[in-house]
Amino acid sequence: MSNSYVIVGDGIAGASAAETLREEAPDAEITVLTDEGESLYNRILIKEYAKGKLPEAPISIHQEEWYDDHDVDLRLNTVVVDIDVENDAIHTHEGETFEYDSLLLAIGGTPQQLPVENADADGIHHFWTFQDARRIKESVEDAEKAVIVGAGLLGIDFAAICGAQDVEAKYLMRGDNWWRYALSEEGAELMHEAMRKRGVEPVFDSGVDRFEVDDDGHVEAAVDPSGDRYECDFAGVAIGLNFNTELVENTPLEVEDGLVVDEYMRTNVDNVFAAGDITTFNDLVLGEQAKNGSWGSAKEQGTVAARNMLEYESEAFEWVSSYSITHFDFPFLSFGHPTLGDDSVEATTAEGEWRRVALKNGKVVGGVLIGDLSPQSAFKQLMREGRDVSGQTELLMEPGFSVDDLAATTQQ
Amino acid sequence: MSLRETGRRLRLRRTGWIPPDARVRHYDELGEEAQILVRELAGRPRTAPETGDLDDGDFVKFTDYYQVRTR
Repeated sequence: MSNSYVIVGDGIAGASAAETLREEAPDAEITVLTDEGESLYNRILIKEYAKGKLPEAPISIHQEEWYDDHDVDLRLNTVVVDIDVENDAIHTHEGETFEYDSLLLAIGGTPQQLPVENADADGIHHFWTFQDARRIKESVEDAEKAVIVGAGLLGIDFAAICGAQDVEAKYLMRGDNWWRYALSEEGAELMHEAMRKRGVEPVFDSGVDRFEVDDDGHVEAAVDPSGDRYECDFAGVAIGLNFNTELVENTPLEVEDGLVVDEYMRTNVDNVFAAGDITTFNDLVLGEQAKNGSWGSAKEQGTVAARNMLEYESEAFEWVSSYSITHFDFPFLSFGHPTLGDDSVEATTAEGEWRRVALKNGKVVGGVLIGDLSPQSAFKQLMREGRDVSGQTELLMEPGFSVDDLAATTQQ
Repeated sequence: MSLRETGRRLRLRRTGWIPPDARVRHYDELGEEAQILVRELAGRPRTAPETGDLDDGDFVKFTDYYQVRTR
């Protein structure tokens, strides 16, 4: 059995793998390498820090003492520059080499920059790490006007931060509603109205053609493709992630919009595993390859990867993820893969309550709940069980829906 | 996480201040039973059986911040 484990990345995927390895292999040598300057923190809560709602301390999850106490060799500020899978070794920028029997890559992604003029100017922020959150908080506290770009789950965090810090913001969106791939205009309007109440104005069919800067190189306006100019002293850009696959470019590891792994989190190299945002995994629930960036999914993948590093095929990853937005006075939750599918049903179920369920071949593959999250467990159960709901989809829109409301159908 | 059989009951108290030494959990970090409990108790003067995911004194971020109290 392998007894020397190297984990690259100390986010929730890497850290949960380290925890599992230590619990289940007390004598294993475990090394965790991270290019960040701090150990595991709560990535879900850093937006709360940037909003000014939460102090720094509760965001830390693992103090450095945790690694000492669990006999895990943590190397902060350590940049991996080469992965030599033929010789089972990792090389760092600092000139160190770490040999392994089994390797876990939990290397995540990096926020994409807009491909426009002055996209890297002072005052333009991307949001991924705790350090980003600190810079954003400091910058937004001095701002009066902001522009936000990226009409998705990460962009709305910028809207909430501006709203919480009383910064007047324009939220520039390419389509005619927020997260148009998962929400219709009717559902999205509930989110738009919540933004407006906080001083954030959605601007539709817009985007950024270029940023303008002052003499000091600080952003002072965004200009959209129609030529409309929006003054700002803060800009938040959240248009997606580039997955950090450049590390494995010169290796035999299979890459396809991330590192390809099977349901055991193993790559095409027997002793190399991956977990978290970086993976393109065999999704047993969906029945095809998928990606998922939620906290719960990454944590579970780290745990499952560790178990399979100890004994391959000991546990498969089978998970229905969810992601909530808790910035407003009503809850929002997406589950599964709400942007996929070949059909969907949606309804306003009460004032301020809306839901949409995405279907593929008659089965639930994901959805969005706004206001009323009570069907969350039932919809996830349908996904896990692979229930065919053909001909009964309107029942999914009933307030108080329960799986028992469906007529018996074949499960797969 | 399963419900604890302690006989104690849990309630959520809305709060606007989080102390630096607090343990704060986001809704997305909780297990399914604890999520149901948070949805049912948040903003309501109700109690429910204690759940293994939440301890007395914990803070939960849902649509507001709530402090967990058990008795």
